[in-house]
Amino acid sequence: MTDSQSEAAVDGTDHNALADYAASVAEAVGASSWTADHGTVRLMVARSDWVSAVQAAASTGLRFFSFLSAIDWANEVEVGEGIAGDSVDERYEMLCRLSSTANADAVHIITSVSKDDASIDTLTGIFAGAAWHEREAAEMFGIDFVGNTNLKKLYLPDAFEGHPLRKNYPLLAREIKPWPGTVDVEDKPSTTNVEAEAGASE
Amino acid sequence: MTAADQGGTVHISDAAVSVELDTPGMTLNIGPQHPSTHGVLRLVARVDGERVSSLEPVIGYMHRGYEKLVEVRNYAQIITLINRIDWTAGYANEVPFVVAVERLTDIEAPERAQYIRVILTEMTRVSAHLLFLSSFPLELGASTPLMYAVRDREYVLELIEGVTGGRFHPNFNRVGGVKPVAGGGSTTKKQSQDLPAGFIAATNAMVERLRGTCITFDDLVSGNEVFLARTKGVGFITAEQVHQYGISGPNARASGVGFDVRKHENYLPYDKFDFVIPTETDGDCYARYAVRLAEIRESLNIIEQAVNDLPGGPLRSKVPRILKVPAGEIYVRGENPKGEMGYYIVSEGGRIPYRVKIRTASYSNLAVLPELMDGALMPDLVAILGSLDFVLGDVDR
Amino acid sequence: MSFAVLLTIKVLAVLGLMIGGALVVIFAELKIGAHMQNRMGPYFAGGRFGWAQPLADGLKFMQKEDLVPDGADERVYKLAPYVVLMGTVGVFVVLPLSPRFVARDLDLGAFYALAISSLTTLGVLMAGWSSNNKYSLIGGLRAAAQLIAYELPLVLAVVAVAIQAGTLSISGIIEAQAVPVFTIGELNVALPYILTGQIIGFAIFFIASIAELSRIPFDMPIAESELTMGFVTEYSSIRFTMFFLAEYAGMLSMSALATAFYLGGYQLPGLSSTAIEVLGPVIFISKVFLLSFVFIWLRWTLPRFREDQLQSLAWRWLIPAALLNIAITATFKVVF
Repeated sequence: MTDSQSEAAVDGTDHNALADYAASVAEAVGASSWTADHGTVRLMVARSDWVSAVQAAASTGLRFFSFLSAIDWANEVEVGEGIAGDSVDERYEMLCRLSSTANADAVHIITSVSKDDASIDTLTGIFAGAAWHEREAAEMFGIDFVGNTNLKKLYLPDAFEGHPLRKNYPLLAREIKPWPGTVDVEDKPSTTNVEAEAGASE
Repeated sequence: MTAADQGGTVHISDAAVSVELDTPGMTLNIGPQHPSTHGVLRLVARVDGERVSSLEPVIGYMHRGYEKLVEVRNYAQIITLINRIDWTAGYANEVPFVVAVERLTDIEAPERAQYIRVILTEMTRVSAHLLFLSSFPLELGASTPLMYAVRDREYVLELIEGVTGGRFHPNFNRVGGVKPVAGGGSTTKKQSQDLPAGFIAATNAMVERLRGTCITFDDLVSGNEVFLARTKGVGFITAEQVHQYGISGPNARASGVGFDVRKHENYLPYDKFDFVIPTETDGDCYARYAVRLAEIRESLNIIEQAVNDLPGGPLRSKVPRILKVPAGEIYVRGENPKGEMGYYIVSEGGRIPYRVKIRTASYSNLAVLPELMDGALMPDLVAILGSLDFVLGDVDR
Repeated sequence: MSFAVLLTIKVLAVLGLMIGGALVVIFAELKIGAHMQNRMGPYFAGGRFGWAQPLADGLKFMQKEDLVPDGADERVYKLAPYVVLMGTVGVFVVLPLSPRFVARDLDLGAFYALAISSLTTLGVLMAGWSSNNKYSLIGGLRAAAQLIAYELPLVLAVVAVAIQAGTLSISGIIEAQAVPVFTIGELNVALPYILTGQIIGFAIFFIASIAELSRIPFDMPIAESELTMGFVTEYSSIRFTMFFLAEYAGMLSMSALATAFYLGGYQLPGLSSTAIEVLGPVIFISKVFLLSFVFIWLRWTLPRFREDQLQSLAWRWLIPAALLNIAITATFKVVF
């Protein structure tokens, strides 16, 4: 399901070639859907297929493990009302980027993890480097990685409670002192872009 | 202890066996305050005499939670913040982020701004690699290369400061271009809005000077027998480990994986310049040193070409005063001095991002450390740490 | 002059020579190192060239609190710097600055000097062990390993000198280097041993003495980037000053021994014996500072070896070479 409205030609990428590439990898990994906007290929897979999809993508030549992380779609945060508020959703999105070291090919493999049962299989069997990334995701989001035996805290102190990157975790500094958070500073008197107009060359 | 236990006489050949001492290993806590951990890295090493049998890096002493902080800041404010991730290359941190926002918002930076970005990114790379050239021999006991590298790094930093007003954290990029240069006043707006006077001549002089520095390092360090003995064959990283751990940048290129974002993606107009990607195949500490030294030379080539072909035109495209970024998800990566740095930006529309995942190079580069310790000695540990060239701000974010 | 007065004068002379010489060498290290690195070095203390910087440093160190770490073996910990310093001072007793200017000219001077200078390593081992610090311990053990490896080539190199000179007295060895080797017309030319067959011996002695002194490229017992400061990690105040002083005094004493054994001591070819009576100390000290300069030069130029590389250098190269040197010297001695 390509989003044809988006013309990702800003970066000079040939959108159709990228879409063809995304479709071919999506087929190889068994993705349920995919997008290829802004030069960023995203393949959605089922949670049960997580490990096998990553394995399949790796075997298409994307052997470079770039990163693994998560996105919390449960929009409960109160400080930060500027965010579009209608996407309240009880799920995390797991995100794993693989790329090639021979060319610019790269994909993001994405799956949904429900908040009630926040667990997913580990990728450490395929990529040893995933261990630290999974530890980070575990402490930051509270996601359990089944099969990763070393999920102790990586960044946070051992006694730390809570999962800071969850949207319902308050950023205390902002609770106390809102400025200059989401409430932006006022517009300056002049609304024209002085810099761009005066920025002519020497 | 056979005959002696039974009370019999000890034959001399048995005695030799019985003097074998049982030496249990000890746990050595290296850091977080230690001269060669480049900041606040802690290593819990299990050592048997000088031999390191296992090693566990403990990180997080420098964790500042950028991924949370950016969720309550607008895009312009984030540029200031991400300068601090890898503080040896503040400018280079900004570029992938700004390019990502530009692609999301369909704004294209003018060509002149793009060239200035290239020049400053490469200057940052030169300065970061010179810092490596100063600290790596220091860890092996040679204190003089430090002074030469830091002295010559000053020529680069002065130029960066001349353009941006900041030596380490320029905060010079804007969505849609670059900021007018430092010290721009209303009376001399025409000139001051652009590069400072004499910048091109000064840059050419700097390039010539730093080529001399590279030769100095070849003379002083590269061929030094002690240096070779300490770095050759120490700390092998295989191409397989490069892929497994996501090692990028000079560390990967020293292991024969010749990937460089500058050649394969067009986040900046690198296709307009003639340069090569230095690659070594040994994968040891010396190869990592050699790649970085060669990269300085290539960066100087790029700077020279970019400065002398600098196109005219505006510094910044028209950008609305209140920047609202359309909904979308994008990943843009750049080739930082330490390796691949990228931002995965999730925008829900509006002035602040919904989520930003920051992929930093040092984090992945450091994760491989325990695997390199197979039979290494204490001094090798220091050599390996130095050759990986990580920055704790880049590891911990 | 009674024995007591003479003894007091001699003790003061030895201590003054050691401390004064060490201060000069420390200043030389600061200044030469700075200029090799494109720095200014000290230039405030004392008014001109910052000559008083070593003194100021010493006074500063003495003002610090004298800490004994928790769990340290206090008596051993406090004794260690004295042992180190004693090993260094001991060498100065037998150094002849001129034919007469010597505190005590022992018949076994060379033997005594080498023996007492290895006492410093005992002090280092004591410091490393008693500090209750793992870095100190590793540093101390490295120093011990280094002693065993480098005392051998050092002694073997001197054995060849003793064979050539036919004596173990240091002034005897120096006098032996005044024996004319050949004559040009009226002039009898005497050459130091470095030019008459002991060049390999000199190289071995010099390399081994760098290792003895734990200076770069053999400074693994201190190895700042690995062991923070090795065996001196926990020391502060006056005890740290003593280690510091001992390091530089040790550099002087090793240079002095090398001067006596290989560079002809207070002799200079072509000078009459009366001139040497007067100029001897100047000649001797000049040669010592020349060698000290080489120590400093190496320190600011080279990286550090690894402990196992140092061991293999000692056992596989220096010791066989020293043995070979003895065999060659002995053969020449017997044949000629």
